[in-house]
Amino acid sequence: MANMNLYSRGDKFFVRINMVLVGLFTLATLYPFIYIAAVSLSSGMAARSGVVVLTPVEATFAAYQQILVDPDFWNSYLNTFIYTIGGTIMSLLLVIPAAYALSRPQLIGRRFWNLMVAFTMWFNAGMIPFWLNMRDLGLLDSYFGIIIGFAVNAFNIILLRNFFESIPRSFEEAARMDGANEFQVLWKVFIPLSKPAIATITLFCVVARWNGFFWAMILLQDEGKIPLQVYLRKTIAELSDDHEFSSTLLSSLYSAETVNAAIIVCSIIPVLLFYPFIQKYFNKGILLGGVKE
Amino acid sequence: MSGVTLEKIVKSYGKIEVVHGIDLVVAEKEFVVLVGPSGCGKSTTLRMVAGLEEISAGRITIDDRVVNEVAPKDRDVAMVFQNYALYPHLNVKENIAFGLRIRKESKANIEKQVAEVAEILGLTEYLERRPADLSGGQRQRVAMGRAIVRHPKVFLFDEPLSNLDAKLRTQMRAEIKRLHKRLGVTSIYVTHDQVEAMTLADRIVVMCDGRIEQVGTPMDLFNHPKNLFVASFIGSPPMNQIQAEVEASGDKLFAKFGAHRLELPMLHELGANDHGRKVTLGIRPEHIMTQADPDTDAIEVELDLIETLGSEALLHTTVMGKPFVVKTETRGDLSHLENVRALHFKPDMLKVFDGVNGDVFDHPERLK
Repeated sequence: MANMNLYSRGDKFFVRINMVLVGLFTLATLYPFIYIAAVSLSSGMAARSGVVVLTPVEATFAAYQQILVDPDFWNSYLNTFIYTIGGTIMSLLLVIPAAYALSRPQLIGRRFWNLMVAFTMWFNAGMIPFWLNMRDLGLLDSYFGIIIGFAVNAFNIILLRNFFESIPRSFEEAARMDGANEFQVLWKVFIPLSKPAIATITLFCVVARWNGFFWAMILLQDEGKIPLQVYLRKTIAELSDDHEFSSTLLSSLYSAETVNAAIIVCSIIPVLLFYPFIQKYFNKGILLGGVKE
Repeated sequence: MSGVTLEKIVKSYGKIEVVHGIDLVVAEKEFVVLVGPSGCGKSTTLRMVAGLEEISAGRITIDDRVVNEVAPKDRDVAMVFQNYALYPHLNVKENIAFGLRIRKESKANIEKQVAEVAEILGLTEYLERRPADLSGGQRQRVAMGRAIVRHPKVFLFDEPLSNLDAKLRTQMRAEIKRLHKRLGVTSIYVTHDQVEAMTLADRIVVMCDGRIEQVGTPMDLFNHPKNLFVASFIGSPPMNQIQAEVEASGDKLFAKFGAHRLELPMLHELGANDHGRKVTLGIRPEHIMTQADPDTDAIEVELDLIETLGSEALLHTTVMGKPFVVKTETRGDLSHLENVRALHFKPDMLKVFDGVNGDVFDHPERLK
């Protein structure tokens, strides 16, 4: 904590209140993770009777053993990776050039195109027309449909466009004087200088794709193509409906609750591992030293 | 010939015209400085030569080729920007090599040329550093290296030293001058600093409100300004001005201001008919003599302030209610300056300008 000797009494009080609030917020954010992890490692009986609070009760890996042997789990896991990686790459391929074009003053009709992009944030056709559109394009039940169908996000375009606009014009001009064409200006100057913004939209894309549930459920009928989130829902439904499973003593080692919690833990781990990997790009001052303002 | 010619160049933004049909010929290997106050159109003119701004009318020729519709990268010009515009994600070597890489030069050639340029600019030991790890002067040298390495036909400098501190500016100014001597590349340099203009230029172009006021060698502009604007812009401190009235007496002309009467030199376009005409007298601070005891011709003054510059000092006073500055030698002692009570200047050092439009009344032999 910073030296508080120079703070007034009121300021000290304010700082302490803030620290308490931040602490509470951190706990509130962290607790669901701890709880789910604890449930996934508890016995089915313990989880069902609601005695798990912070740490596993009657600790067991039974729930994990149950899901890890299910080939559908691994298949949906693989599908989620395909949708996440493919969808994120597709998004970046479309969003970056779009944002760059919209950020350039020389784009003819720039205001109009910007308005058109922003328009899609407020208004869209709705679920049924979108489904019909995907059907007519032959994109139902297809990996490519999920990857391309949600690749363009107006919010990400505007976010990146604003970042591009904040890059001093002289970088572009210097590159053009050095002989770069528009693509080279984007690829060799703007993209390297925009790593924090691109990392941000990459994170948005990855998280949105990884957690993608609703449209995958609507557009995918083939169980071999469903992602992890849809598999999770299917498992919850199946285990809840299986009265025999719920009532047998065999199930005391694991239950619907512990299996669901185990699937959630398995689905969270890759995202948790991904964030530290891109965190280094969230560094300020990437433009430092390039221009003298 | 790798010269640059501007013919009737106009630049408009919508209905607002900011450059009003300027003409300029920059000869091969010449170092021309565009100077003028902020907003006078000098940077816009430079950017039009670079191809970063389209021209609204007129014709730009580089090396006998009209480049009105040629992209910047195909004009064979290099530019040094005011804010350096170094690529912060690349190190010094990569920054200098950027243009060569874009042009797909061979790796060996790039290495060789970068090494040469780094040697010239004293950057060899900094090649692996990023711009953020360099001082202001080193960054500006990298920016120049990026321009030099391509061996362009024309160098364009857009106020390259304005972000440096005074000492570094003086040092870099000398380096640019030396570099121009060594490379002999046609250069156009924009600055608002008339000291930079005077020290660097083969010829200076003084601009004001999108027009060229005067083109000439530094000494030409200093000694023979065409109008009051050029006179007051060139020279540091600027030329002093006194509002006066012409008085014809016999075959002589006098300038009358307050209780004073100064005999005017013989000037073309100014004669006995101009009795009563309003004029502005211009006198450079270094052309004024000081006196401790006023004689009959002297102008009595009271000193407001003495600014010491070491071997020289600036005496601040007031004449006819307007600030008046005298530059004089200190001779290592200020005591004799504190006693200054009067000023005296020779009529042949006076410049006389029209009181309405500011045009100079020059000696007949100076006018073409």
